[in-house]
Amino acid sequence: MKVVLLGAALLFSAAAASAQKEQPLPKDLPPFGQEKPLQAPTVKESKLENGLTVWLVPQPAFPKVSFSIAVAGGYTADPKDLPGLSDLISATIDQGTKSRNARQIAEALQSAGGDLSANAGKEGFYITSSVLSSKSADGLSVLADVLQNAAFPDNEVALAKRNLASSLEAQEANPQFLASRAMAKVLYGDSPYSVISATKESLAAMAPANLRSEYARRFRPDRALVVVVGDFSADKMLATIKEKFDAWRSPEEAAISVPPPSDAGPEHAIFFISRADSVQTTLSLAAFGPKRTDSDYEAAVVANTIYGGSFGSRLTSNIREDKGYTYTPGSNFSASRVTGTIHTSADVRNAVTGPALNEIFYELNRLATTSPTEREMSQAKRFLIGIKAIQLQIHSAVASELSNLWIQHLPASEIGDYGKKISAVTAADVTSVGQKYFPAARVAVVAVGQENVVRGQLALFGLPIKPAP
Amino acid sequence: MQVLRRVVILAAFLSAGSLLAQEYHPATTVRKLPNGLTVVVAEEHSAPTFGLCISYGIGSRLEPEGRSGFAHLFEHMMFEGTPTAPKGTFDRVIESGGGFNNGQTANDFTQYFESAPISALDAILWLEADRLKTLDFSPKNLENQRNVVEEEVRVNVLNQPYGLFYAFELPGKAFDKYPNAHNGYGEFKDLDAASIDDVRNFYEKYYVPANAVLAIVGDFSTDEVFAKVEKYFSGLPNKPAPVRPDVSEGMLDKERRSQESDSLARVPGLAIGYRAPSAETHDALVGAVAGEILHNGQASRLYQSLVKEKQVALSISGGLNFNNYTQFEYKGPTLLGSFVIYPPDKTEAQVLAAYDEVIAGLAKKAPSREELDRVVNKMRSDWYDQLEVPVSRAQTLSHFQLLEGSYERAYTIPDQLAKVTPEEVRAFAAKYLVSTNRAVINRIPKPGEHAASGGAQ
Repeated sequence: MKVVLLGAALLFSAAAASAQKEQPLPKDLPPFGQEKPLQAPTVKESKLENGLTVWLVPQPAFPKVSFSIAVAGGYTADPKDLPGLSDLISATIDQGTKSRNARQIAEALQSAGGDLSANAGKEGFYITSSVLSSKSADGLSVLADVLQNAAFPDNEVALAKRNLASSLEAQEANPQFLASRAMAKVLYGDSPYSVISATKESLAAMAPANLRSEYARRFRPDRALVVVVGDFSADKMLATIKEKFDAWRSPEEAAISVPPPSDAGPEHAIFFISRADSVQTTLSLAAFGPKRTDSDYEAAVVANTIYGGSFGSRLTSNIREDKGYTYTPGSNFSASRVTGTIHTSADVRNAVTGPALNEIFYELNRLATTSPTEREMSQAKRFLIGIKAIQLQIHSAVASELSNLWIQHLPASEIGDYGKKISAVTAADVTSVGQKYFPAARVAVVAVGQENVVRGQLALFGLPIKPAP
Repeated sequence: MQVLRRVVILAAFLSAGSLLAQEYHPATTVRKLPNGLTVVVAEEHSAPTFGLCISYGIGSRLEPEGRSGFAHLFEHMMFEGTPTAPKGTFDRVIESGGGFNNGQTANDFTQYFESAPISALDAILWLEADRLKTLDFSPKNLENQRNVVEEEVRVNVLNQPYGLFYAFELPGKAFDKYPNAHNGYGEFKDLDAASIDDVRNFYEKYYVPANAVLAIVGDFSTDEVFAKVEKYFSGLPNKPAPVRPDVSEGMLDKERRSQESDSLARVPGLAIGYRAPSAETHDALVGAVAGEILHNGQASRLYQSLVKEKQVALSISGGLNFNNYTQFEYKGPTLLGSFVIYPPDKTEAQVLAAYDEVIAGLAKKAPSREELDRVVNKMRSDWYDQLEVPVSRAQTLSHFQLLEGSYERAYTIPDQLAKVTPEEVRAFAAKYLVSTNRAVINRIPKPGEHAASGGAQ
């Protein structure tokens, strides 16, 4: 068993809110004080003999412990003929084991001060729970049982299927869900990366036997990580984990591998979803960006922050604070080993659908064609590093971040290198990713709204308008 | 009465073995500036950051009649700049300092909060003090934020299935007094009628130091941070705090039922709300526990009965003060209630019959010690989450100091919960959770819009 200690300082780059060309700061505003180095969490890494990876982050004083267990393989690993099987795994994995029924599982966790949340991502499956530190061993027992002995009882699967069918039905009324589902298809076509949930048809075809075989295939110690963050002794926690997970065995068959999606970007077109009674148009725009391991990943993180990733961003200043078109403008850059997406969204009232889309195109093209100011660079980088420091004070956020890194095959040390990497991004780097990834001509647009009211506004852009896939 | 008190003490003694007292109570100091501003400070040295929250004693419940939604619209105006720090400065400085900020309007307070690396503390204190001196009362900014707020209402209410009806419609059915009954997001006609004079008058009446509590938690020494607060805030004049209106309402004496149609929802929903007492009362503490026995996760009684056993509901959520903020941070009457989504092949009567059976069970027989301990453990654990990071601890401290005159309950709630007895829970249910004390709204998909097909197979 190998134990490695990791720890690194997150450091700020430039000092103080320096002189700003656009608008002088108030003369009496006090300058920023002395920077203090921000300690990234220290991760104690080990591996059990059965291949289970364990990352422990002891943080004493606050009386709670957060668990996050990641298993390789999410929606993209689901059987091709049962897209979204992961949704039913999430709904039923805690509905019975060999020795506990669903109610006993829920009660045992509640008694420890927690509950269980199971969620699939594209490439990983995550089980999390946050409990009282005085009851952490009790909580871990239940989680270990669910990870190794889930039984998927027939009656529980039938009930979960019924309830999930209704949730899917309910989601059909949610404009943001409709936009996300359509955008995933526009971006990824028939690839498994286009799946964001089960469908009515796939759900109907799912049986307990599918769950049991998929669970046996995917939930294996050599492709799983246990992260624990909070108030505990590392030695004792490791001993408890060893005791609870030692009997877990991986199957003989090779682990799942999923082919990456195509790198060809989406069509520059407007994909329309008609929704009766919409009082807003839900706009969603996306283009491919760098992947998580590409060298311009951090530059794209900074560029996205300047463009639409914060309250102070260009997009928010423009379409919310200046024009009042929307409450919810924003952009999000997310990346994995094989994908990278820059995604813009805004819900705008019907009458300003065209003007809002025009401004979004303008801001994308502005980032593509001009360089950021020094003030924008400094603000975005300091914001990103500061926010990370604040997030890392939350046990569950540390646990979730470490799980995501592991699913992306990145080392735990990445959590401490973030500040250094963001600090190193230059205005030239942002200009370069702006040119490469942000031109409006690269994006696909999904619009959900009242067709007779907004179609005319969208037609003015001269883009093909197509029904959403 | 004496007998009851003895029972309480005995039960608390018996449960002491399983529940540690005062697990988390970091040193905290409170002082009041001569101008009436109350300041709560706690050191937290685990990371070089801080969190700050300034809460004002004005919320949706207390806004003037005929100006529904104004407290929230005004909250937006607090981010629109001042004569010395024009629009845009606030976000720019805070983000440049590595931090974030936001605001939130609840029934009984409006809160503004920031968190950042400690190096930005002076700048952020200065900005908070600056917007308590005066604002940029610009009609253009008001028009802009009126649009933004109306988009907020559209995205969260008008364009969503159910439209948060359990939060914005149910109080109107369950309460009679305007403060408790009206929609805090606001009617568009009221939002449209708001003028810049309304903004100015509201600011001058409610945004005064004596009506505010500033709480700061972070990596500093207590003396140092009090000195900074005095430096930036002591120049503000002392103005009288507004008088809080009487919002009290007793229990209902007759059940109120109504029906709404929903053009966006595909599956019917039910909102149920029982009038419940103000948070500082002992009854409310017990009510919080009763609410969680009924609603907290898959182990809860309502989930087990309605979703699992009888299968008359698809989901259920709720608890005390469930449609506003936490179970403990409010002042005045509230609702203990539920939001149920149920299958189209079931009827409102079937859902309510199952619901009432669970409620009656709690009113008839006290929960077991084991069940109570389990639920209280979960509630303590959830409560600690609110104290985990500096900014959320600052929020909690400032709310209690504002609403109850002492921050102390932020730390003692876990202990208080551990002392609630099974019999108290039963008695609460028997008194408050009776059908004559509730309002019920059945919200059904508009006929002919969608074929609801998600029912039982």
